[in-house]
Amino acid sequence: MAFQDIQILRINYLRGPNIWTYRPIIEALIDLGEMEDHPSNSIEGFNDRVNAWLPGLVEHHCGVGHRGGFLTRLVGGTWMGHIIEHVSIELQLLAGARAEFGKAREISKRGVYKVVFRTEHETLGRASFKAAHRLVMSAANNLPFDVAATVEELKAIVDVLCLGPSTACIVDAAMERKTPFIRLTEGNLVQLGYGSRQRRIWTAETDRTSAIAESISSDKDLTKRLLTQCGIPVPEGRIVTSADQAWEVSQDIGLPVAIKPADGNRGRGVSLNVDTEEGVRAAWLAAHTVGAGWSGSEENVPVLIERYIKGEEHRVLVVGDRVVAATQGETAYVVGDGVSTVEQLIESQINTDPRRGESEIFPLDVIKFSNSSRGEMTLLEIQRQGLEPHSVVEKDRQVVVQRNGNLNLDVTDKVHPDVAASATLAARVIGLDIAGIDIVTQDIGRPLHETRGAVIEVNAGPGLLMHVKPAVGQPRPVGKAVVDHLFGPNDSGRIPVVGIVGTEQTTQLAQLVAWLLHLSGHRTGLACKDGLYMNQHHLGKNDARGFEDSERLLINRALDAAVFETTPLHILNEGLAYDRCQVGVVTNMPETTQILMDQHDIQTPDQMRTVIRTQVDLVLPEGASVLNAQDDAVVGLAELSDGEVLFYAQDANNAHLSAHRQHGGRAVYCQEGFVTLARGDQETPLFHLDMELIARLLKQGLHINTLLATVATGWSLGITPLLIRAGLKNFGQKHDQVSKDLARMNG
Amino acid sequence: MEVSRIRALRGPNLWTRHTAVEALVRCEGDESDLSSRADFETHLRHLFPGLGQLSPTDRKIPLSMAHAVEATTLHLQIQAGCPVTFSRTTATNENGVYQVAVEYSEEEVGCLAIKLARDLCIAAAHHGEFDVEAAIDQLRGLDEDIRLGPSTGSIVNAAIARGIPFRRLTEGSLVQLGWGSKQRRIQAAEIDATSAIAESIAQDKELTKKLLHAAGVPVPLGRPVTSAEDAWAAAQEIGLPVVIKPRDGNQGKGISVNISTQEGVMTAYNTAKSFREDVLVERYLPGSDFRLLVVGNKLVAAARRDPPLVIGNGKNTVRELVEQVNADPRRGEGHATSLTKIRIDDIAKNRLKEQGLDENSVPAKGTRVILRNNANLSTGGTATDVTDDVHPEVAARAIAAAQMVGLDICGVDVVCESVLHPMEEQSGGVVEVNAAPGLRMHLSPSYGKGRDVGEAVIATMFPNGDDGRVPVIAVTGTNGKTTTVRLTSHLLRTHGLRVGMTNTDGVYVNGRQTDSGDCSGPRSARNVLAHPDVDAAVLETARGGMLREGLAFDRCHVAVVTNIGMGDHLGLNYISTVEDLAVLKRVIVQNVAASGTAVLNATDPLVARMAANCAGEVIFFGLDTHHPIIATHRAQGKRVLFVEDDHIVAMQGPHSVRIPLSEVPVTRSGAIAFQIENAMASIAAAWAIQIPWETICKGLASFISDSQGVPGRFNVFDYKGATVIADYGHNPDAIKALVQAVSNLPAQRRSVVISGAGDRRDDDIREQTRIIGDAFDEVVLYQDACQRGRVDGEVLKLLRQGLEGAKRTRQVDEIYGEFLAIDKAMERLHQGDLCLILIDQVEEALAHITHRVEAAN
Repeated sequence: MAFQDIQILRINYLRGPNIWTYRPIIEALIDLGEMEDHPSNSIEGFNDRVNAWLPGLVEHHCGVGHRGGFLTRLVGGTWMGHIIEHVSIELQLLAGARAEFGKAREISKRGVYKVVFRTEHETLGRASFKAAHRLVMSAANNLPFDVAATVEELKAIVDVLCLGPSTACIVDAAMERKTPFIRLTEGNLVQLGYGSRQRRIWTAETDRTSAIAESISSDKDLTKRLLTQCGIPVPEGRIVTSADQAWEVSQDIGLPVAIKPADGNRGRGVSLNVDTEEGVRAAWLAAHTVGAGWSGSEENVPVLIERYIKGEEHRVLVVGDRVVAATQGETAYVVGDGVSTVEQLIESQINTDPRRGESEIFPLDVIKFSNSSRGEMTLLEIQRQGLEPHSVVEKDRQVVVQRNGNLNLDVTDKVHPDVAASATLAARVIGLDIAGIDIVTQDIGRPLHETRGAVIEVNAGPGLLMHVKPAVGQPRPVGKAVVDHLFGPNDSGRIPVVGIVGTEQTTQLAQLVAWLLHLSGHRTGLACKDGLYMNQHHLGKNDARGFEDSERLLINRALDAAVFETTPLHILNEGLAYDRCQVGVVTNMPETTQILMDQHDIQTPDQMRTVIRTQVDLVLPEGASVLNAQDDAVVGLAELSDGEVLFYAQDANNAHLSAHRQHGGRAVYCQEGFVTLARGDQETPLFHLDMELIARLLKQGLHINTLLATVATGWSLGITPLLIRAGLKNFGQKHDQVSKDLARMNG
Repeated sequence: MEVSRIRALRGPNLWTRHTAVEALVRCEGDESDLSSRADFETHLRHLFPGLGQLSPTDRKIPLSMAHAVEATTLHLQIQAGCPVTFSRTTATNENGVYQVAVEYSEEEVGCLAIKLARDLCIAAAHHGEFDVEAAIDQLRGLDEDIRLGPSTGSIVNAAIARGIPFRRLTEGSLVQLGWGSKQRRIQAAEIDATSAIAESIAQDKELTKKLLHAAGVPVPLGRPVTSAEDAWAAAQEIGLPVVIKPRDGNQGKGISVNISTQEGVMTAYNTAKSFREDVLVERYLPGSDFRLLVVGNKLVAAARRDPPLVIGNGKNTVRELVEQVNADPRRGEGHATSLTKIRIDDIAKNRLKEQGLDENSVPAKGTRVILRNNANLSTGGTATDVTDDVHPEVAARAIAAAQMVGLDICGVDVVCESVLHPMEEQSGGVVEVNAAPGLRMHLSPSYGKGRDVGEAVIATMFPNGDDGRVPVIAVTGTNGKTTTVRLTSHLLRTHGLRVGMTNTDGVYVNGRQTDSGDCSGPRSARNVLAHPDVDAAVLETARGGMLREGLAFDRCHVAVVTNIGMGDHLGLNYISTVEDLAVLKRVIVQNVAASGTAVLNATDPLVARMAANCAGEVIFFGLDTHHPIIATHRAQGKRVLFVEDDHIVAMQGPHSVRIPLSEVPVTRSGAIAFQIENAMASIAAAWAIQIPWETICKGLASFISDSQGVPGRFNVFDYKGATVIADYGHNPDAIKALVQAVSNLPAQRRSVVISGAGDRRDDDIREQTRIIGDAFDEVVLYQDACQRGRVDGEVLKLLRQGLEGAKRTRQVDEIYGEFLAIDKAMERLHQGDLCLILIDQVEEALAHITHRVEAAN
């Protein structure tokens, strides 16, 4: 008898900080049905099957806190929701993605669980969840399950939709220094920071990477010419059309030389390291023959004679004006045994290296004579040695398979200052802020003029993986170097962000706060129930509290500050659009609603607290929480704030407020009709509630609590009390009135 | 007649400030005087009616074939549309040989023009035929191929107007503007700050739309749809009317516009679907296409772009209507004009078909018949300037769009009824942003005012009127150039500038040698001016390069001429007298900027006379305090340097600075007169670019002229108590100065080691030993490695001749080989002796001497 399928009631993707975690997650609601009565240990063979399919589960510590923790839970008996969570995570890890967080919680309805786990991409998360569901059901019903095929499918999603390794290492470095990021496409275009403080990267290109410089770097001849002008050694070369000329030029340039057909970009007809007259003439003929084949004419076939640069290829990574990493390539070769063919020797002597693999995450490639350009190079390399892939190599003969094939040895610390100077100059000459400089030299630890080494290429958008995962040697923090290049030492790329939650006049509060920020000189964005505003420009009346509209403010480069109104439902449905905020405001602890109960099982005040606390959890250490001291449940959130807390209340004698002031805290309240700012026992009356223009606002329906919250928020943002007062007086007034009043204030 | 040695003078030169092609023209017999061949000019004019006036620049010489080549070269280029005016022919001292120089605007065109001119003149001389129209077409075609395109051209022209120097880096449109650390680059309408990421974003329409939407810029929102029903649902969400099209479609295939009914949506969906699986529904934007050009944070031009169209009159067919439009003489064939002829090709025929027409239909009166969807000028579209109409809100959205994508030069495509009103009021929007937008439609629109967009681009790259120049100090003269260059560089480096220096030993940038060998030519100078780390350039400017290619710069801030004296290398390249030489060296003075300065040796009459050719200020220097030129200049309140009471005095009006010679080590406390002159020249150069006096004094004190600092320039060694001086001096003036300098040093016995360079005139070689014979007891003559065209022993013979009747020399030895000669002289030295070694292979000889000196100590 087979178990009935576990029902998937809903899969939500929470794109921003949420009640579970700061990062995007999949949140699925499932109904175990009859499986609720069948924990893992009650189904015969279930644990063994799951274990056999996913041996990596042993690494899941789970709540137990050590290796094998999750397995202990399986053996002890755990429920299917919990298992699906771990299987989803494990499948993502197998597919090469990251997924370190997960939870499974039963809701108030028996057998119904919320299963939650981290994912790098919505599509990947959904697919993993569905695969995990299938896997668990197959294990329960003792049916076969093709893990390898499933992982392959997920890998395909990872390859297309997750960040590539170079971009990922920059994004990781950004997160490390608390700089937020937004992916702008499914590809590798990423925004670091918010609003006007943002920068953009696209793999290892930055928004300052010059398009002209990129086109220069892709023109090898032009690159060489520009480098030579500035005294950087390059393999100087000249075009010849006869054997005599070839020999003459070779002597001019200095032996040894490389000889190749001038318009070839493949390796055919190429001879390297030629150092005799005989050799030059023979090599010329080879290049001439190939070139003549292409042009269909024997006449004036251009053959390029270049100085042959001895040594290994190195990749020197320049970021900004610094060398931040360098790797060295190695010549790969095999040794014959008198029996095996070249192809077999490559398989047994080279491709067995565990560092070699087919995907991007391996530091080294496998070597194949496939139809890739790399494979073709390998073929030409052995053909130059008189061999074919199927040739048997005599015993002890060394065959070079790849020259400078892989850059795999970290040599950052060896780079001679003179070489570093040449590399940074090369990047400057081409005009690139980030460049991979390819240098061939016999010793990167000596100046190029001593080793007769040369810069052979300058690459825009260089891959970073080889520095992050060198096969040998120390990994280099190149992602950090890129982020440091983009942002100053104390610049997190953030703009002031204010988040407001509650149910009382949050829209008016958000508008007032945005107005104050505007007056203090910030181009301010506002996403509220009333629509989206950018720098006081109203873009439409549709409710803009959703994730997508909110995110527009953070993407807009023309905004210096942003104010967001939110609700419990928005937090639960999508998560918040920003990762952290400068100021988090809670006006009151909402009551739960039918919709929250039905859709999200928010039943109790405690559950509501877990929703609302999200706003306070996001406050930055250098920021502030602005809390209504008249609501005990809101006051209870104060302990969660990483930043300062500001309380507000109408009554100066509010107990929480007084206690807070006793510890030197800041508070806003009314005292004899005066709205008053206080820091500890130091009090500053700001304005009287009867003041005409203020009274006007109250008459229009503005609640005193909202007024106080506005003042407190403005103050927490560092807006001067005088400007706060002027701003409130002028809110909603005509422009000329505003400017007159501000002029009076400044005068 | 023979035309040979065609050279492109790529910078200011002996003949002109402009680029010019120069050739040697050798005339035979009566070709040198055309007055005896009256029919020649007739034939020439018959073949080339466009030939201008034919008359010699120099009235003293008769009109020759060379003059005919000159005029023909010039006028062929003019007829081909090149903006050139200068040409000149001069007779050389060789009979019948002329130098012809003609301005060019494109090097290859100039070189081709002179060859065609030669063929044309030869044809005329032999009463032959020559197809001059074909020649002009060839030149015009070549010019159009290689000259800068209109976009790049407009920016470069704006740069020129600003005085910003430029240099093309490729045959394409990559151009360097400015020099050294102040240089920038452009490529068509891209600048070096244009972000590659921004360009990629602009190419991704969906991403662009997302970003613009985020920035509050109206865009035609839409979404992909999966079925006809979904399309209708989408249309209702977005708001009618809509556009339905295949995603990534091209050429407008499968696109339906302005659909506002359910039925229409369904039909349109199926049409689109037949081209591609992915179908998009987008808001329809009514109105015309506008292109708004944003440069930096400003809107600089706007144009309405209309597709090629004709308006029916109820009588003529479409074909006839197109012919009528094409009859407009402003409509040309290529890219060069502001209007292009409308073509009736397959695309046009398909477009007609969509309107239910073909080329033979007669459209009703007033019907707009569109022949193509795009409005490119090159396919017959028109551009109408509307810059002055753009509403500030429209401009603000265009700027926001450009900045959101991150483009500093951006063509924003807007669709709306009119740019007179905000886009939001007329449901208009931005449909595309373009990196590297074409500028032609703004430079020369089909209708309306052209806009100076080039200047707008330059203004963002070079704010505040900056001209992108780093100070350039050019140094020339017969002797002292290298020391002056090195000392001047040292003074500038002391001021913290990263100096690019060229001289006969190599190229140095900020103290690092980047090239070696004789680098006193224009190629090395250009390299220095292209180096991103150069804040100031000090360039030794030798005659060879000036003759071969002209100068590497259009003008300099400071030109220093140390001296001409009796000259050097006379008799080469038609420079046969010191006066000729002065005219050549004067070129750098002639090209001093109006705000610049010439530093001239007042005591050398040929140099002092160059003052008249300087557009800028002049600083005179000289050892002689009472020299009349210095005295006069000083009296006029202008800047002078002279020596007084063991001080170098720099004076301007009532102000003076006195630097004790004892604090200028290179002069050996004033003992070496020529080093005082070099020091004064360097001080003046630094003074001219406002290096503070404190820095100048500090720099003078720290400048060491040893074999490391200034190899081969008065390097003094102590060898077993004797003084050995090594110097590269190799002409009579240098020898004279050296003799003067060493006679100030006490010594018992004086000896000298000397050779002669074979490429000097016999007299010049003899003169060297003649000077020496009166000052040294012993002379070791040697034959140097390279005889430069002389037969074995010839130079030695001349040197010996110079010693005949010497007043002081008692012993003369002849040695083959520089090192052996040095060994011989040094072996003989005793304590208190002095030996001057005139070295030839500088580096090797200095190493040899140093080695011996070290071994002895």
